[in-house]
Amino acid sequence: MAIIGIGAVEVGRYPERRESDLALQVIRDALRDAQLSSKQVEGLFTTPDLQGNIGLQTNLLCEYLRISPKSMAEICCGAIAGGLTLKYAADEIQAGRIKTALCYGAVREASIGWFKNLSQGKGWAMIEPTALQPYAAYGIIWAYALSARRYMHETGATEEDFALAAVRNRKNAAGNPLAAFKKPIAVEDVLRSRYLSSPIKLLDAAASLDGAAAVVVASEDVARDLSPHPVYIQGWGLCHDNSCVIPTDDCSKSISHFTATREAARRAFQAAGVKPDDVDVAEIYAPFSSHELIIPEDIGWFENGEMVKAIRNGETDIGGKIPINTDGGLTSRGHPWAATPLYETISLVRQLRGAAGAIQVKDAKVGLMHCEGGMMNNGLVMIFGRG
Amino acid sequence: MTSKPNFLMPTNVESPSVSPFWEGLKTGRFLAPRCRDCGEIFFPPRSHCPECLGDVFTWEALSGKGYLYSWTELFFAQPEFDLPFLLGLVDLAEGIGRIAARISGATPEELSIGMPLEIRISNSGDGLALYYVEPFRIL
Ligand SMILES: [Zn+2]
Repeated sequence: MAIIGIGAVEVGRYPERRESDLALQVIRDALRDAQLSSKQVEGLFTTPDLQGNIGLQTNLLCEYLRISPKSMAEICCGAIAGGLTLKYAADEIQAGRIKTALCYGAVREASIGWFKNLSQGKGWAMIEPTALQPYAAYGIIWAYALSARRYMHETGATEEDFALAAVRNRKNAAGNPLAAFKKPIAVEDVLRSRYLSSPIKLLDAAASLDGAAAVVVASEDVARDLSPHPVYIQGWGLCHDNSCVIPTDDCSKSISHFTATREAARRAFQAAGVKPDDVDVAEIYAPFSSHELIIPEDIGWFENGEMVKAIRNGETDIGGKIPINTDGGLTSRGHPWAATPLYETISLVRQLRGAAGAIQVKDAKVGLMHCEGGMMNNGLVMIFGRG
Repeated sequence: MTSKPNFLMPTNVESPSVSPFWEGLKTGRFLAPRCRDCGEIFFPPRSHCPECLGDVFTWEALSGKGYLYSWTELFFAQPEFDLPFLLGLVDLAEGIGRIAARISGATPEELSIGMPLEIRISNSGDGLALYYVEPFRIL
């Protein structure tokens, strides 16, 4: 399977536009990039943003695009779902049921709905009523803050180390036309920004913003016919740990490192037949700068605690040992959560086409995409290879 | 004195299979269910045993002690809360589970991971008793 088309809007705010309007724009751009007619789309895999259209997103797109796919699903599995659209599209192609698929995700009016829903209803059920609920606050920043503090305790990482990751992301975002935050920041700016939930501060956190992204996946024969620069999906690994946000039912469950990320990465490397050191460029799903240190250790580029030294030495910068979040990551590209895994994928496709401009990693051949749901309770790692 | 409740109403207080836990708090006891089918004692209380899915329990009182596993000071929460406030993730001393609870009687500077804590119970009004934690002090 190969990715042959990408389309996305700049991450930001689009209060005046309907989701269908954004959807048709990014889908058109992805189809044109793939040189594929909408009538040739055989599979449609989308993810809803939990505010509207739930259960009818594919319905709406089929009419608006005048397409009749042979396989479709609207996938809802927390924030990992955008990545799962790619996995299930690839599964269907690999099984020979379809030859082309369109994957799509978007978030609109991010600030209005999501945190309110998470706190007051739809997402609230995942906060354990007996062990967490009386004191659990908006969103899940508090959970990530507990994770970050525990990681500091176990590794000696400091708030300044987390700030270094936020600064790296901001520097990279300046070269990404789709990024929301491009104004340079220094470590002092991050350290002086206000606490949201200590040790996490405003500039350590990803802003929940609007965005829409589409990716076209095709079988290898279709990709070879149509695309001058296919990016092959070489393998993936998926895992859900036996936990929900903060694990409360077992004192041995870690919140400073995550089994689901580790298993997903191990399975992905095995499936793709590559090793962590073979990866030239990576996009990881870190909603807070603290997890820019945790996730690379779980994926396997560093031992536990080694990211502290690596972030200080610039080993994850463009030109470093393993360039991570070259597009600005969640904190600076911006975080339209349902579409974020597709934005990560688009950034890797640009890198592997050699079309990433100012943020190009020289001679990038292998890319890694990581996304997750809950608080790293599940994980998807996907390996891409240059055509 | 504050007029804010400083807690959010848990959604399972009326749930018949879990209500013994909330009733226990009213009498000053922190209870955990033990499965009558397989003997597993588990926390948090739920309708079914996570080991064997049995649904008949005896309720046992825990020591009410725990250890600080991690903590955060929240500057961002629902309007029900006075800000900032300290939230601790606390391993129950019996090792069977964790709670996230408001930390009272300590400043951020006085907290250290691993420190012993005591589960306290407060009457929060509306007939609900709630837990919070304080540093364990030998009197
Ligand atoms: Zn049992």
